[in-house]
Amino acid sequence: MPIKALLFFAMLAVARPGIAAEKIRVSSFSTVLTEIAEQVGGDRVQVTGHVKPGVDPHEFEPKPADLKTVSEAQLILVSAKHLESYVGKLKEATGTSASFVQVGDRFTSLKMKAEDGKQAGSVVEDPHWWHSIANMEKAVKIVRDELTKISPADEKTFAGNASAYLGKLDALQKWVKLEVAKLPRDQRKLVTSHDAFQYFAKENGFTIYAIEGISSEDQPSSKKVADIISVIKTQGVKAIFPESIENPKVLTEITRETGAKVGGELYADGLGEGPAGTYEGMYKSNVSTIVNALK
Amino acid sequence: MRGSPLLRAFIAFCLIALLGWPLWHLTRATQAVAEVTAPPQTEIKDIDLQLDFTAVPKSFAVRYLEKDLWTEPAPKSSMEHKLSLAFPDKGVDLVFHIEWPEDSPLCAVRARLTDPAGDTHEKTVWGQGTVDEVLTFP
Repeated sequence: MPIKALLFFAMLAVARPGIAAEKIRVSSFSTVLTEIAEQVGGDRVQVTGHVKPGVDPHEFEPKPADLKTVSEAQLILVSAKHLESYVGKLKEATGTSASFVQVGDRFTSLKMKAEDGKQAGSVVEDPHWWHSIANMEKAVKIVRDELTKISPADEKTFAGNASAYLGKLDALQKWVKLEVAKLPRDQRKLVTSHDAFQYFAKENGFTIYAIEGISSEDQPSSKKVADIISVIKTQGVKAIFPESIENPKVLTEITRETGAKVGGELYADGLGEGPAGTYEGMYKSNVSTIVNALK
Repeated sequence: MRGSPLLRAFIAFCLIALLGWPLWHLTRATQAVAEVTAPPQTEIKDIDLQLDFTAVPKSFAVRYLEKDLWTEPAPKSSMEHKLSLAFPDKGVDLVFHIEWPEDSPLCAVRARLTDPAGDTHEKTVWGQGTVDEVLTFP
């Protein structure tokens, strides 16, 4: 008997690395999708997040090491809606035949004015779909279904994990509604320097006033500054939310002329670091910052 | 121009200072901070709210902007109340805090609000135990 038991444990020990190697290899180019893949896939997936929390996805470019990982991945997740301009090159360079899922392209887009690049000034799809919790719920179901296609035997595991994560999103949605209800609906005016919160605004009854120019190193024209000041004054906006303060003189002029304060840091382009390193943390941080500044 | 160079320099300095002071006064940045312009206030009006519960709760409260508008320590299955609040065109978010008995099945309350224009809007809250839910009217 002891020999049989030893043999059993020896076989188990040999089999373990095999089981680990069978994990589904996922490459993600969005911090939010990385979290979804980890939550839904659980211990059945090995997720590589190429875009790290705190990294601007607008600026990210894959490196040779990323291409190697992508070429070995079974599922590749991209945020889409033109956020990752390198998608075509990525496919070509890796020659991947894996499931390449452009998640954001599977639900309705809001439109925004392109801030830079070849399309500057033209109307494009707003890529910041994750600021809508409803969109996040759709993304969870998309990832669940894609993982199930790759490993049908794990269908129950993925369904259970997705259901648990959807429950967390539902609880988050309720928390957000209670927090935002602290602001009168006619005072929900969000003045930001980066037009990234349209999905959030639509879901929570805010109006967006984008003040492009104050976060850039270029000096905005005096007319532009006057227009911004006029909007803030006429709308009675209490706080503005510049994504980064690279032009403090202009910002000082705006706050002095209008009496509006600087509302704090918002996470526009995905997960941040520390407490904002999870979707729930990032969303709660944004909502608390907005509500506290506008109350 | 004759005279001591020191005297001439002093006179020149005085002239510059005399001309410079009003110039600085006119062009200096004002230190006064503007007040935020208050948005136009909506008039406070009486708004009729009627509630119909599928199961009588232990207690409930209707809140608006973190203030209790209506609380009932001994609620009935059907109640009506006049709320005094500003009802802007963009509507209001009312928070319903309801405590049903812990062992009760899934319960609901139908809220019927009549706005200042006389239009009626109906919404439902579902739940078990203690529920906090936001209803937006209209």
